[in-house]
Amino acid sequence: MALELKQSEFEIERDKNKCISCEVCVRQCSNDVHEYDSDQDTLYSDNSKCVGCRRCETLCPTGALKIRNREDQFKTNYNWTSSHLSNIYRQADSGGVLLTGMGSDRAHTVYWDHILFNAAQVTNPSIDPLREPMEIRTFIGRKPERLDFEINRNKDSKESLKDTNIKLKTKVPPQLDLSTPIMFSAMSYGSVSLNVCKSLAAAASEFGTYYNTGEGGLHKDLYGYAKNTIVQVASGRYGVDVDYLNKGAAVEIKIGQGAKPGIGGHLPGEKVTGDISNTRMIPEGTDAISPAPHHDIYSIEDLAQLIYALKEATNWLKPVGVKVSAVHNIAPIASGIVRAGADFVTIDGLRGGTGAAPQIIRDNVGIPIELAIASVDERLREEGIRYRSSIIAAGSIRSSADVIKAIALGADAVYIGTAALVAIGCHLCQKCYTGKCNWGIATQDPYLTKRLNPEIGTRKLLNLLRGWSLEIKEMLGGAGINAIESLKSNREHLRGINLNDRELAVLGIKHAGEAW
Amino acid sequence: MKSKNDNRKNNKMFKDNETIDYLIIGNSAAGLAAAESIRELDKSGEIMILTGENYLNYSKPMITYFLSGTVNLDMIHFKDDKFYKDNRLDVRLNTRVKSIDTDKMFLITDDGNRYEFRKLLIASGGRPIVPKIKAIGTKSSGFIDGTNYDKTEGIFTLTNLEDAVRVKNYIEKNGIKNISILGGGLIGLKAAEAFLEKGIDVNIIELADRILAATFDREASGIIEKKLKSTGSNIYMNNTIEEIHIGSGKITGYKLKDGEKMECRLLVIAVGVNPDTGFISSGSLDMARGIIVDDHMRTSAKNIYAAGDVVEGPDMISGGKRNIAIWPLAVRQGTAAGLNMAGGNKKYGGGFFMNSVELLGIPSISMGITNVAEEKEGFEVLKYLNTNQDMYRKVIIKNNRIIGVILVNNIERAGIYSGLIRNEIDISSVKENISREDFGIIHLPADYKKHLVVGEGIEV
Amino acid sequence: MRERHGDCKMKKIYIQEEYCIGCRLCEIYCQVKHSKSKKIIKAFKEEMIDILPRVLVEEIGYNSFAIQCRHCSDAPCVEACISGAMQKNKNTGVVTCDEDKCVGCWSCIMVCPYGVIRRNLSGKKIASKCDLCIDEEIPVCVQNCPNEALKFMDKDAKEKNPVGTKTGRKNEK
Ligand SMILES: Cc1cc2nc3c(=O)[nH]c(=O)nc-3n(C[C@H](O)[C@H](O)[C@H](O)COP(=O)(O)OP(=O)(O)OC[C@H]3O[C@@H](n4cnc5c(N)ncnc54)[C@H](O)[C@@H]3O)c2cc1C
Ligand code: SF4
Ligand code: SF4
Ligand code: SF4
Ligand code: SF4
Repeated sequence: MALELKQSEFEIERDKNKCISCEVCVRQCSNDVHEYDSDQDTLYSDNSKCVGCRRCETLCPTGALKIRNREDQFKTNYNWTSSHLSNIYRQADSGGVLLTGMGSDRAHTVYWDHILFNAAQVTNPSIDPLREPMEIRTFIGRKPERLDFEINRNKDSKESLKDTNIKLKTKVPPQLDLSTPIMFSAMSYGSVSLNVCKSLAAAASEFGTYYNTGEGGLHKDLYGYAKNTIVQVASGRYGVDVDYLNKGAAVEIKIGQGAKPGIGGHLPGEKVTGDISNTRMIPEGTDAISPAPHHDIYSIEDLAQLIYALKEATNWLKPVGVKVSAVHNIAPIASGIVRAGADFVTIDGLRGGTGAAPQIIRDNVGIPIELAIASVDERLREEGIRYRSSIIAAGSIRSSADVIKAIALGADAVYIGTAALVAIGCHLCQKCYTGKCNWGIATQDPYLTKRLNPEIGTRKLLNLLRGWSLEIKEMLGGAGINAIESLKSNREHLRGINLNDRELAVLGIKHAGEAW
Repeated sequence: MKSKNDNRKNNKMFKDNETIDYLIIGNSAAGLAAAESIRELDKSGEIMILTGENYLNYSKPMITYFLSGTVNLDMIHFKDDKFYKDNRLDVRLNTRVKSIDTDKMFLITDDGNRYEFRKLLIASGGRPIVPKIKAIGTKSSGFIDGTNYDKTEGIFTLTNLEDAVRVKNYIEKNGIKNISILGGGLIGLKAAEAFLEKGIDVNIIELADRILAATFDREASGIIEKKLKSTGSNIYMNNTIEEIHIGSGKITGYKLKDGEKMECRLLVIAVGVNPDTGFISSGSLDMARGIIVDDHMRTSAKNIYAAGDVVEGPDMISGGKRNIAIWPLAVRQGTAAGLNMAGGNKKYGGGFFMNSVELLGIPSISMGITNVAEEKEGFEVLKYLNTNQDMYRKVIIKNNRIIGVILVNNIERAGIYSGLIRNEIDISSVKENISREDFGIIHLPADYKKHLVVGEGIEV
Repeated sequence: MRERHGDCKMKKIYIQEEYCIGCRLCEIYCQVKHSKSKKIIKAFKEEMIDILPRVLVEEIGYNSFAIQCRHCSDAPCVEACISGAMQKNKNTGVVTCDEDKCVGCWSCIMVCPYGVIRRNLSGKKIASKCDLCIDEEIPVCVQNCPNEALKFMDKDAKEKNPVGTKTGRKNEK
């Protein structure tokens, strides 16, 4: 076998003065990096196997380990970067498509970091969210074009309001009722462990928001969280039957995913075991292939058919939405989806996460979510159909500031995926596709899945939701706004920084320093 | 729980003041466990403890530790003065019971006193067996036996602290460097270990073809024998003392069954212990070898209970009744008896033999039935033997339940086996692991494992 | 110092087997706690020979759990102890072995159905077992378990099931 030319990405430093040979690192690394030599009573580490997940470093009780990025794997070259070289070496060895996990880590502009939020001063007062009411409750679903009321006034009465009976006449379509504009995005049981699903479901349920099953069906342990579940229907239709549809609070048709627009999914047969095969409703050991397109959707009309079929199947009681990746024509596509009858449109941006995707696609296909939200919101308003659908933004929402900016750009709510996983331990080593996640998240190996105690996972997710919601309220209050509804698409509250005119125009915001 | 006795106690002024609420014969494991349990339920009843001995209390199994010097007379107590005070126990030392009237509910002691009782516990333990041996050089009978052995200097039994103190003094006074022990059972070997620790050579004379014949099997005995011999000790198997030689009131030597003549200045007779029932007139209580008790430790006489080495109680393994003279069961029986005497309702639940002994640095534990012939029908024997390290493990199984275990050298986690025996766990699903050296809870049948891991601990 | 109370209110360590990841940090910190210096690096590098962990991790494949003395109400080890060293404290419910009194007869090892007493042979023979870290607010094994596979709580709390994963949602009409 020829020498592999790829270099180790990480360097493991073990401080011999601190290492007590307790072997915690040996037991914790699923990549077999560390090894104990009993003859020498010493531990050795093999840098080349390390994926940089920092599990060992985190659990080492004496702080003896340091995992360092190796900056100088290869001679520095601005054009031929280390990543290009190692990718070529890897491919020269394997001859295959390079896989990766999580969202793109390339240096595409992160527009969130070029947008600043507003605050109120003098001319309108700011609001203290701890003392005054602050509404961040959000409804997802089609809104009526106008509202009709039935007003019955008791004619004899002098006090007009007291004896007036007002009733809403318009029938409001089904809505999801979120206590905060944040939901957990689709992560299928299969791509992540059941303990992750349990943590997400329990946290969503406790906090009053929603999580999404992804395309892997619904495990029976999660039935109890039905009211807070969005069930997904993807091209493979795994685990989909009428019971499944009705177990959810809403249905989401998945057309695309930000990390791999235009690409399907593939869960190899050896991973389709026991519970997963039951949940996906396919025989054990068969490959679970999600085709790139839905084979029954080749036009907006086809999509409309599926949307109405699903509405029919769920007795018109649940919102039905469509998830697409942010691509160049996202605005007209979204318009078509809305016109096809979707109650919400989920847009997943360039930096959206994944369990496994070809690296070349992940890093080079699609557009950033910030630009997509702005252009879709703009387009739907222009066409006068914005009310017909809610917009859910996804793809690398990293903080409450990102949330509030997304809403000001025109989203109704956001989905968080990576942020949720980070809250429960993910260290973004991007090796999800190997199934050896040391943090017990993107794996089905029972030795590893134990590492996520859903009690802890739930607690951490709840804390994250709580923290972000408080911050959102603080920011709203600071801007003198007392309901999140008033911020929606209110781009006057945003200013760009270090952006050129084209970017500002697409985002529909002024540059910092420009007043009304 | 409210005890019936509390109510009665309120009327005490109308009753004979000298009648003792709870009278206990025996100031040891069983007696004191009972006293403590009575006090748990009955805060005010009068509890009196009688003992023929002159020590406040001491742990019998520790007398050989006293011999070896591991503990001194201050440390040999297993309950301190505070225990008697806290539980308000009236203990009478040097008070030997002579007879009991089980109908009229009183007893008479050696000093002629009479004690009336409402409830009586007999926890008088055991007394050593001394076989009848021909004696040459005595003036009187020509035999040594239980009634006269202590008249000859240098002949001792070893079942109470008094014995141990006397042996110790005798060794020191006479500079004894070699001791013969008649009996290669547990007491004999524990004594041997103590002597060896003090640098005294021992000769062990055993009637059976190996030592510890009652509790060990051949392999296990072999490991200990090998070690004993390596210390320079002699073991005479298939042998016994045929005659004892006495000169001017002292033992000088003996002759073995095989004819060999030995010199001897100190002989310890350790051939076994019998329940101490001498003060019970025949017919007054149901007895076999010991006093027969039911699962509540009641004897055949009303208001009279018995516990400890003196009883024949329910045996978990055979299902019948057996005298099993070990400390843990004495405590358990005493506890049950005490609770029941004070108006509670506590089942003893039966017991089985077990023992832990460390000889010459080799720890060993045996429990249950350890000595079945492998070929015998219905038994299954699983063994693990590592001759290099003298590591031995044997598990005896009947009807998929463990009924006996021997562990030599590696005794870690032995209690898991006693749990399996006590709870009569079906181990058929885990047989292949049961005699592993690293056997642990994780190898147990799923349900029982779960019970242990998720549970609270052993509950009352 | 922990509150003292009888057995039913007694806080005990409960094992959540399904979340034990076999890291053995519980053992490591138990050793440190019972070391002379109580400093992890020093304890391991200089004092190690004396210290046995009092919590045992058992492991086969991905099944693992840590078990330590259950501080039984009806403790068989106390019953079997011939020296009076093994005692259950009537106030705290904690079962401890008085190392001065213990003679190393291993009767306790013979009867403990959990097999959680070990022989400490480093000096005088003594039985070594969990003392529930009585001077700590929370036993160190529980404190340091990274995955909450060990929980320290009383029986009431256990029965109430402290898991914060209620089903159904809060703002339901
Ligand atoms: C040398 C030796 C080593 C042993 N080692 C072990 C061991 O390692 N493990 C183990 O489990 N067991 C061992 N045993 C057995 C253990 O000692 C007994 O099981 C235990 O002591 C029984 O307790 P008991 O309360 O029934 O009786 P005992 O301890 O025998 O106590 C009897 C009490 O009754 C009193 N008494 C007796 N007759 C009368 C009377 N007529 N009037 C008044 N008081 C009376 C005595 O003074 C004494 O206080 C050993 C025994 C011996 C002798
Ligand atoms: S792969 Fe993770 S656990 Fe293994 S050595 Fe690298 S950082 Fe540590
Ligand atoms: S610290 Fe916790 S997870 Fe680690 S071995 Fe101990 S009980 Fe298991
Ligand atoms: S050592 Fe064993 S028997 Fe004793 S209290 Fe603890 S668990 Fe129970
Ligand atoms: S409670 Fe303390 S003594 Fe007991 S096992 Fe845990 S760390 Fe060790």
